[in-house]
Amino acid sequence: MSQDSQTIKTAHQIVMQKGEMYVGWSTKEDVRKRGGSGGLVTSMLAAALEKKLVDAVVVLKKMNEFEAVPIITSDVNEVLNSAGSLHSVPSNFAKLIANRNLKVALPAKGCDVRGIIEQGKRNAINLDNTFIVGLNCGGSMHPVVTREMLEVMYKIKPEDVHGEEIEKGKLIFETKDGKEHAITIDELEEKGYGRRESCRYCTIKIPNNADIACGNWGVTGDLAGKATFVEITSEKGAKLLQNAIDAGYIQVQKPDEKGVAARSKIKGVMEGLGKKWKDKVFVPMDNRLEYFRKELENCIDCGACKAVCPTCSCGDVSKCTEFHFRGDAYRMSMYHLVRFLHLADSCIGCGQCADVCPVDIPLTRLYRRFANPVQEQLKYEPGMDMRKPPFFEAKLEV
Amino acid sequence: MSSEAAAAPKTNGWEPKIVAFCCNWCSYGGADSAGMGRFQQPASARIIRVMCSGRIDPLHVFNAFLEGADAVLVTGCHIGDCHYVNGNDKTKIKYKFLENVVRELGLEKERLQLNWISASEGEKFANFIRDVTEQIKKIGPSPLKPEGVV
Repeated sequence: MSQDSQTIKTAHQIVMQKGEMYVGWSTKEDVRKRGGSGGLVTSMLAAALEKKLVDAVVVLKKMNEFEAVPIITSDVNEVLNSAGSLHSVPSNFAKLIANRNLKVALPAKGCDVRGIIEQGKRNAINLDNTFIVGLNCGGSMHPVVTREMLEVMYKIKPEDVHGEEIEKGKLIFETKDGKEHAITIDELEEKGYGRRESCRYCTIKIPNNADIACGNWGVTGDLAGKATFVEITSEKGAKLLQNAIDAGYIQVQKPDEKGVAARSKIKGVMEGLGKKWKDKVFVPMDNRLEYFRKELENCIDCGACKAVCPTCSCGDVSKCTEFHFRGDAYRMSMYHLVRFLHLADSCIGCGQCADVCPVDIPLTRLYRRFANPVQEQLKYEPGMDMRKPPFFEAKLEV
Repeated sequence: MSSEAAAAPKTNGWEPKIVAFCCNWCSYGGADSAGMGRFQQPASARIIRVMCSGRIDPLHVFNAFLEGADAVLVTGCHIGDCHYVNGNDKTKIKYKFLENVVRELGLEKERLQLNWISASEGEKFANFIRDVTEQIKKIGPSPLKPEGVV
């Protein structure tokens, strides 16, 4: 470390601790420009890699405005290049890093974090070696739906889109000619576009289960849009942030009280909205068996929903597949029955299964129908803490 | 046969098919003493003996329903009397989840029942089978019964 960075360190002689909040931004001009909210997350991940805190970082490699692939990289430049946010790439990183025994840092929205913790409980991920940078998330969009929405609602060609932003309840797309097109999210969702269904009724908006929770909520005044609000939620998170400051990648300052209040206010509003959606989607219904039979009748047994499920760690040979035969003339699929049961306590409602289903079965909605009553009754929220899944308990007092 | 058939129960001479999972040490003994005590019970139950009620996987119950059972009974030793110390504590947990799936699926609550029956409770076993048979006769065949199965 050079003399200069030593002075930077003394200028920021802060010892990070669990529970503290900061507002920070990247010191790299380029990252600040491309990344959202000051590029703090990108810089923090790059610093962790540079200073050998981790061996690899998971980032999204952008293909175009609607497509990106998650990659595991050890190249600092690749991490820095990934700066920028994409709302229409609903990926989940939990399965990607499972069973790989990596020392890794990764950005994660609420459902990624929950998936990672569930995999940790099932010994597929070593949580001590995983630095989870939680991202506030108000919801993501399905790429196919987004393209359709652009043509139908915004009347612009998907190819012309240059950037996107969510601001004050409006979804704004910027085209290449510099024009901005804005429509409120409520209006879009009324027409069936906008966020994925599972995001609408999700109530985990600030991922306090991660090591560190980052987002633009609570950044006020001059810094609005140029900085990230950070809440340290574990020792690992403190280490991650301290490392980035020591390496000279980011700068932080204490947030003002107004910001902290604004953050928790937004959180409250978003969670309330989520609960409202939940009541709207899961209305009590009669003749449920017929409903489930109808929804599942198109199933082609591809197994994609299980392959992507971030809480499933059974592998190829599992109870749901081994006792399911296409030749059986059963009135319900054994595969789905077993999955309904197994996910009752562990479904995190991430929406991956419904996203990948080739015949568009709204699987997340079906799984949540079974999961909601059990999780409410047992007061168990999968992926939020290290509590053992109730199904594996030896004894349960309810 | 679908929901219409289920809505019109008591078809001519129809007898419910009930699958009763019994643990080797208590409820199977209970079934035995029901016979030895000459307690009358309908011939609707098919008993499947398992070593412990904790062995009953929800999958077994699903399979019974999908193969055409009108009701499935899970029976075991009283809590605290398990031959394997805490087997039936585990049954309770599994049953809780199983019950949730069966209820949410839209099956009537009579179709899946849990009961603790000790080896000496022959009369209780016979009464249990009789009650369940009556209940199922009232609500009719299971909507999950495959075509062609009576």
